[in-house]
This record gives sequence, C-alpha cells and structure tokens, in this order.
Amino acid sequence: MGDVLTMGIDVGSTTSKCVILNNGSQLIASSLIPAGTGTSGPQRALDAALEQAGIAHGRLAAVTATGYGRNSFEGADHVVSELSCHAIGAGALMPGIRTVIDIGGQDAKVLRVGPSGKLESFLMNDKCAAGTGRFLEVMARILELDVSELAAMDEKAAGKVNISSTCTVFAESEVISQLAKNVDLHDLVAGIHASVAVRTAGLVRRLGVTAPIGMTGGVARNAGVVRALENELGVSISVSPLSQMAGAYGAAFYGWNKTKE
Amino acid sequence: MSGVKELLAALRAVSADPRAQLDEALSQGRKAVGVLPYFCPEELVYAAGMLPFGIWGAEMQANESKRYFPAFICSLLHTALELGLRGALNGLSAIMVPICCDSLKGFGANWKYGVGEDIPVIDVAYAENRRIAAGEEFTRAKFRGILARLEQIAGRDVSDTDVAAAIAVYNENRAALRAFSAAAAKHPEAVSPFDRCAAIKAGYFMDRAVHTKKLQEITAVLQTMPEKLWKGLRVVTTGIIADSPALLEILAENGIAVADDQIAQESGFFRTDTPVTDDPIIGMAKRLGVIEGCSVLYDPGKQRGHELVQLAKNAKADGILWVMTKFCDPEEYDYVPVKRMADAAGIPLLAVEVDQQMVNYEQARSAVEAFTEMLK
Amino acid sequence: MNETIEKKPAKIVLRELQDKIAQDAWDAKQRGEKVGWCASNFPQEITTAMGIPVVYPENMGAAVGAKGGGQRMCEYAEGMGYSNDLCSYSRINFAYADLKHCEELEIPFPDFLLCCNNICNCMIKWYENLALELDVPLLLIDIPHLDAMTCDADRVKYIRAQFDDCIAQLEVITGKKMDLSKLKEVMEVSQRSSKAWLRAVGYMSAEPSPFSGFDIFNNMAVACVGRGTIEAAEAFEQLADEYEALVKEGGSTFKGEEKYRILFEGIACWSNLKFTYKTLQSRGINLTASVYGPAFSFLYGSLDELMAAYAYVPNSNCFERELQLRVDDAIKNRVDGAIFHMNRSCKHWSGNLYEMERQFREKTGVPTVAFDGDQADPRCFSEAQYETRVDALMEIMEENKKEAKA
Repeated sequence: MGDVLTMGIDVGSTTSKCVILNNGSQLIASSLIPAGTGTSGPQRALDAALEQAGIAHGRLAAVTATGYGRNSFEGADHVVSELSCHAIGAGALMPGIRTVIDIGGQDAKVLRVGPSGKLESFLMNDKCAAGTGRFLEVMARILELDVSELAAMDEKAAGKVNISSTCTVFAESEVISQLAKNVDLHDLVAGIHASVAVRTAGLVRRLGVTAPIGMTGGVARNAGVVRALENELGVSISVSPLSQMAGAYGAAFYGWNKTKE
Repeated sequence: MSGVKELLAALRAVSADPRAQLDEALSQGRKAVGVLPYFCPEELVYAAGMLPFGIWGAEMQANESKRYFPAFICSLLHTALELGLRGALNGLSAIMVPICCDSLKGFGANWKYGVGEDIPVIDVAYAENRRIAAGEEFTRAKFRGILARLEQIAGRDVSDTDVAAAIAVYNENRAALRAFSAAAAKHPEAVSPFDRCAAIKAGYFMDRAVHTKKLQEITAVLQTMPEKLWKGLRVVTTGIIADSPALLEILAENGIAVADDQIAQESGFFRTDTPVTDDPIIGMAKRLGVIEGCSVLYDPGKQRGHELVQLAKNAKADGILWVMTKFCDPEEYDYVPVKRMADAAGIPLLAVEVDQQMVNYEQARSAVEAFTEMLK
Repeated sequence: MNETIEKKPAKIVLRELQDKIAQDAWDAKQRGEKVGWCASNFPQEITTAMGIPVVYPENMGAAVGAKGGGQRMCEYAEGMGYSNDLCSYSRINFAYADLKHCEELEIPFPDFLLCCNNICNCMIKWYENLALELDVPLLLIDIPHLDAMTCDADRVKYIRAQFDDCIAQLEVITGKKMDLSKLKEVMEVSQRSSKAWLRAVGYMSAEPSPFSGFDIFNNMAVACVGRGTIEAAEAFEQLADEYEALVKEGGSTFKGEEKYRILFEGIACWSNLKFTYKTLQSRGINLTASVYGPAFSFLYGSLDELMAAYAYVPNSNCFERELQLRVDDAIKNRVDGAIFHMNRSCKHWSGNLYEMERQFREKTGVPTVAFDGDQADPRCFSEAQYETRVDALMEIMEENKKEAKA
C-alpha cells in the first residue's frame, strides 16, 4: 500500500485541533476539542481523529505538533511554529493565497506567503486581547449571546455603532453604555465586528497587503468579521470551511513532506 | 573548550548576581555609584576610586514603582526604580540619572521621593546637539560639575591624571570587549547568545580592569580554537537591551548565533573609545559627538539605520533581530525608517517585543521559530 | 455724529488672527517662499523677526483631534508601522506626511524643520523621521531638562549658541537676513503679548471667574503661533479688558452657576473636548486654574533671559518648580479640587504625575482625581470612567463645602 498517513495537531490556548491526511492531500479525519494546552484537550483531539479515521496510532508515518502548546505535547516527531503551519495550511486549503490573516483565541497574526506557499514574512499582534477571539467572547457575553450567533446578528444590521476603544475593558464599558441607550443590537454587533476589523487591518497594512487574501483561525468562521475586514481593507477575503483547522492541516502536510526526504 | 566554559561561567555568575559585586566592593571599603543608561560619565566615578555600578533593571515584577511611574513607562526604568524602592540597591553612595529620553526625565524625582536622599541623584545633562562646539563645551562643563560632586562623595580630590588613567582603563576594556565579541562571533558553538551577553554585561558590575583580564583570557582561548561551520542562522541584534534569559535561550534553541550587535547595553558601550585629549574631560565630551547607532542620541541622518545595515552585511548575517523594549519611544520612532532601510537592503528583520516584567515568552518563541523556518 | 463701530469680541479676533496666520503661510508657499514646520516652543522670535512663515504640526494634531480625525489618522500611522504607544500628535503628522492630505485641516509642506525639545524629547525623534521622509534640513535647539529651580549659565550659553547658529542657517536656507533691531522689536511685542495673555488668564482668580476655563484651550492657539505680532498683543489686551469688565459686573461667559472651581492638570483631551467640558459644566464645575494655556507666555528682558525663559517651559522644569507652579496657581485661584489628566500620549507629562498629585494634595489640601485620556487619540478615553471620577470629586467637594459652612 502506498498510503502515507500523517497527523497534524494544533494545540492552542483554548482549543485543540487535529487533522489526519493521506498522502498529504486527502483529508481523512479532523477533530476539534474546546480545551487547549495543559488540559486533556490535545489527547482527546488526537483520539477522536484516530477513531474517525479508523486507524491505530502506529499507522501514522509522522505526527507534527504546532500551536501555543506544541512544545509540551508528547509524542511529536516534528514541532513547527503555527505561523509556518498556517501558511502551509492556508496555501493548501486556498491555493494561490498570498496573505493569510489568522485571528485566534488570544492573538492575531498576518502572514505573507510566497508564490510557492513558503512563509515570507509575518507580524503578530501586540500583547492585547482587543481584536482577538477573546474580545468577541467578552462582547458576546455582555450582549447575552453566544459567539456563534454574532455573524447572524450582523447580517441584519442597518448601520454600525462605533466602538472606538483599543482597550477591551474600555470597549466593554462603551458597549454597555450603548446597550443602556437601547441602540439596535444588530448595529452594535456590526460595530464590534468593525472594531476587530480595524485592529486587524492595521496589522495587515503594517505588513503590506498582497492579494489574494485568506483567513484562518477560529474567528474566520464569523462571517460578520470577515465582511467587516473586507470593507476595511477594500479587498475580498477567502475563507475555507476548514479555516479553523488550517494550522493542524499545515502541520500534517509538513509531516508528509518530511517523510519524502 | 572546557577552559572557555569555566571562564564564561565565572562571568555568568557575576551577571546573575550583581549585588554580590556591590557587596564585595563595599566590604573592601570601596564606595559605589549607580549608573543608569545611557552614556553617563562613569569614568569619573572610577577616577574617584569608586565602583561605577550599572543599573539596567532586572527580570522581575514591578509593583511599588507603579506608585510613581504609570504602566506605560518602559520596564527598564520601572524595575530600576523598583530595585531602589525595595532596598536592593542600598549601599550606593549616589545614582547617576541622565535626561536623554522623556521617561528618564521623570526618574530622578521619582527616585528622590520614593527611595530617598540616602542615595542622592546626580543629574547628568549632556548635549544632544553633540557635534557643534557649543554642545561639546556644554557637555564638558556639566561633566566637570559632576566630577566636583563625585569628589565630595568620595571625600577626595580627583586630578586630571586620575581621570586620564580611568579613561585608559575604560578604553582597554572596550578594546577587550570588541576582541571578545569578534572571537565569540567566530565560535558560536562555544559561546551561546546567553554567554555572550552575560560576559559583556558583567563589566557593568565589576572593576573594569578585572573584567578586561577575564575577557582577554577567554578571547585568547577562543582564538586558538579551529573555526567550525555553523549550520544555524547568524543575526545582528539591535535595541536597548537584549539580556532576557528566556529570549536568549530561545535563540540558542533555534540555532541562532549573535554575530554582532547594535544593543545599547552591549556595543553601545564598547564600540567607541574615549578620545585621548589634554583635558581628559574634553575627550569624554568628544566621545558623545562621535557615537552613532543609539536611538537616544540626536541622529538627523538616521545613521543608526545605515550602521545597522552595514553591521549585518559585514557580519554576513542572515537577518536582523530587533529586541524591542516595550514602551520605548525612541526605539519605536526609529523602527519605521530603519526597517525600511533593512528592507531596501534585502535584509530580513524580525522585531520581538520584550519587557523585563514578562514571564510568558511564547509569542517571542513562535516569532523566532517562524523567522528561522523562513530563512532556512 | 456718533459712529458706533461694532467691535468684534476678542475670541473672534483671535480666531480670525489664527486663520490669517495659517493663510499667510499658504500664501507664502504659493509665492515660492520657504516655509517651515516648527516645534510649539521653539523661540518664535527668530522666525517672526526674520519674516519666515512657519506652521506647527503639534497644533495641527490638536485641531485634527478636535475635529474628529484623530483616530483615523492615528490608525493610518499605525498601519505604517508606528506604535500606538507614540505621541498621537506625531502619529497624526506622520499620517499626513505620507497621505499628503487630511480632511480636517491641512498645512503647507515644509522646506525645513525647526525642532526644540523643551517640550519633550519625542520632538527630536519625530523630526528626525520627518527630515528623512521629506528630505529637508533639520535645525535643532537642544534645551536640556532643568535639574534645579533656576536655569544655569552653562545652559544659557549653550542655548544661545544654538539660537545664533539657527539664525545663521536660516539665513542660508531662506535667503532672508536677521535684522537685530527687528529682533529687539519682536522681543518687545512678544513681552506685550505674553503679559496681556497672562493678564487675561489671570482673571480666573476672580470669584466667579469671568470666563469658562475651557475657553483657554480655544484662545491659546494664537499665544503659540502669533505672540510675536502686534495683532496678537492687541487681541490679548482686548481679551484681558473684556474679562476685566466682566469681573467688575460679576458676570461670566461660563454657562450656569459656578458651583465648584477646579484646576485641570494636563493637555486638553482634544478628541473628547466637548464631553470633558460638558461633564464639568453641567455639574457647575469651572476650570479656574491650569498651567497649560498660560505656558505660552515667555517673560524676559535681555537675550540671555530669553534663552532661560525657553528653558522654563512646563514640563522642562525640575519637579519642585513644576509642583510650585500648580500649587501657587491653585491657591491663588482658590480651587475646590483638581483633575489630573493621565495623558497616554505624553510620557514626559505623565512620568511624575502620581507623585505630583500626592504632593499637590498635601500642599493645597484640596481633593484630586486622575483619569486616563489622550490629547488626540479618542481610543484612550472612556466616558464612563471620566464621569464616575468627576462625580466622585464633586461629591467630595460638596462635602467639603458643607463642612466649611458648618
């Protein structure tokens, strides 16, 4: 049998994602556990992926770990930064992509990828929650919504309420005072999304905008943020259904590449 | 190689425990004067028979200092003040505080009212308009005034001969540091980024003459060793201070060697000698007129950027690592034009933000790893 | 025959003068004259005497902030790679230098730069970058931060040498010659302006103050950009006379009853001016002490005294002198409390603010609060925080008044 199975595991701060690829291109399993480094999350993600694929661990030709908790993950054949993995994963999921925007739970990154898919340069956000998944969680909680409901709310917005603070705590207070004024909830959500978009766009501009642009990371699943970013940057942004898995995907691909050496 | 290891370990120990050096000097009846960055006339302290004791903050949480400085002041000053407030610098006879950046301008008063008059502040002013005759004259006059103050503190007269002798010790130390840096660049397998930094930094806490001897020993051994091919990356660092053990460890883990530096704490001290002049204090003033590459010295042509690019080319470096001190305005202003210069020269540049109060270096680790992966 | 000539109120005259000065710079640029960008506390005596038009990027930053463009311009600068930690005036200016356009306000691009760090050292870094970016000559007058109550002779000598050097270089750059008799004249007019401006703001000590303290933030622009001109001197004298008249009749331009008098420490939050003002005014709180506006006055006789005057700019003094300015002001103007603006953009002003607040409280006995804000970046200000703190201060001032009556 010529099948080479490789696993990529992305151990984030709040989630663990695992992908198994066959011959570096066929996705045969993917799992996501909402628990990150230091918890049972990574192991559970790994087990779930193996079960989905219907294979034993020994069948894997390589396991590659990435993400915040990659260095404490045991049993990895390779350890690669999530920047490289997101670049590889985005390149595989959205071929031809040149700029990757990755907004995760606790940070945001912008990557420039060469024509051959290699990481050329990158920028990471300041150590600040504003403009990350955490910011959206905090805001959603104030509005008594689940983060997954934000995109649908945004769709019905007629306008957007300006939330300007760069500090999450100040922004919280802004949102609360807007709520007290009984502004339209949809417009408020649109404003929150715009706030994340403006922060992220700043990071993108610092690196330089090279189209086409794609988004990875959990926040890519929020169509409202994607739209707001498109408006802010004046370019269209691709999103793959597997955007949140891009890091794990890239790691699995990296591992497959290594088996050919 | 084991000789080098032991020699480096000795200097590592000094850098790890500056207080021990201070205590040793005090126990020998030698007074000590704290010296804050940058470019204070520490040769004058040495000339007065006292130990110039460098204060570059520390890896620690600053809590008390936040009664004085707001959070958005750099950690170097926060932790320096914190050390003072906690009594960790007791024994110093005075502290030299320059005014070359806006945050330093506030340090003296915060120290005075927080730490008290037991360690009085010696205000150090020098000319930013450093290349004109009037600037040199202003610096000379101020340094003369500081010398008079140091004489009072030391309880003795200090002659121009004493000053010239101190300058000779310092210039010899600078030469020894340059030789060490060059030798270490050729032997990254023997001198890790952490060792290189620790060896350089140790000079701030020791008698420079003793430091010189130790450096010369290490350099002599390094120079006998055959050069090995270094498979990892070579970078030139730039910034104010790059002594974070965690960051230096990350460099080592990624096989990155420091080929040269443009760091204020490191080559900022040793790249430029004090010119030898009849009035030695004029020489000290002249030195400020020729130094390049530091963001707190007036630099209308942005020579800092040109120098950095040249250093990287000379060292055949794979890239530049900017160790960005968080909240440092001068560095943040320089970043934009200097990055452009590096880009124009085709030299990859990675900026990593550091803060002495930081405990979590994961973001820095990811960035350095990605940079390494990118440049391979 | 009685001819009543409608005389414009001084604040209108000042506004029109500010506009005229700005227009003159544009006209000069059109005519092909060399125009400079100038630091706010650079000795204007040089440029005024030589007839060299200059404009002030810091003022532009304040105006753009006040007109609502602060956030947009700051974000653009951040997109260029400038940290959001940096002074918002400089970020706005870097954005303008790159964009060459700003919808709120535009100033002619410079042929040279005049820098002076008596206001802060960030000016040096800012102008270094501009010189490189715009490829124009940069002249610096370095005024080392004072470490004693008085400006020493070494500093005066050094500043004087740079002053003279600047004149020589400007003669070459602009082709205009310095006439020392004209300089003397400008120095005299500047004294007249400065004294008049100080007299005007000095009327804040009256109870009630004849004007709303926030008016200082509007009227001070000319003190910065035009104090070397006769028109400015006359306008400030008119302003002072108007205030004097109001004091005589017990009137004021402050809307409502002046229930509480406060010292406002720091630069105005230009991007949040209306809100910071209204929150106070609606509670009957009037600004009756501030060192910021009056700072744009320089009193001297000889040239050497001029050099020293430019070293006494708040905040370039030693801590004790800075503290004394605030304490004297607060006591003379009989304030009930003080608000300290912790300005995120200005490390120079913020570095000793906590200790200053403590010692100020000790020496004056009045209650104080501090709040987080910024001069031109609205993202660093929280309306809720400001209101809460103003209310808390008001409650304490109220209690104090009750106790005083009892």
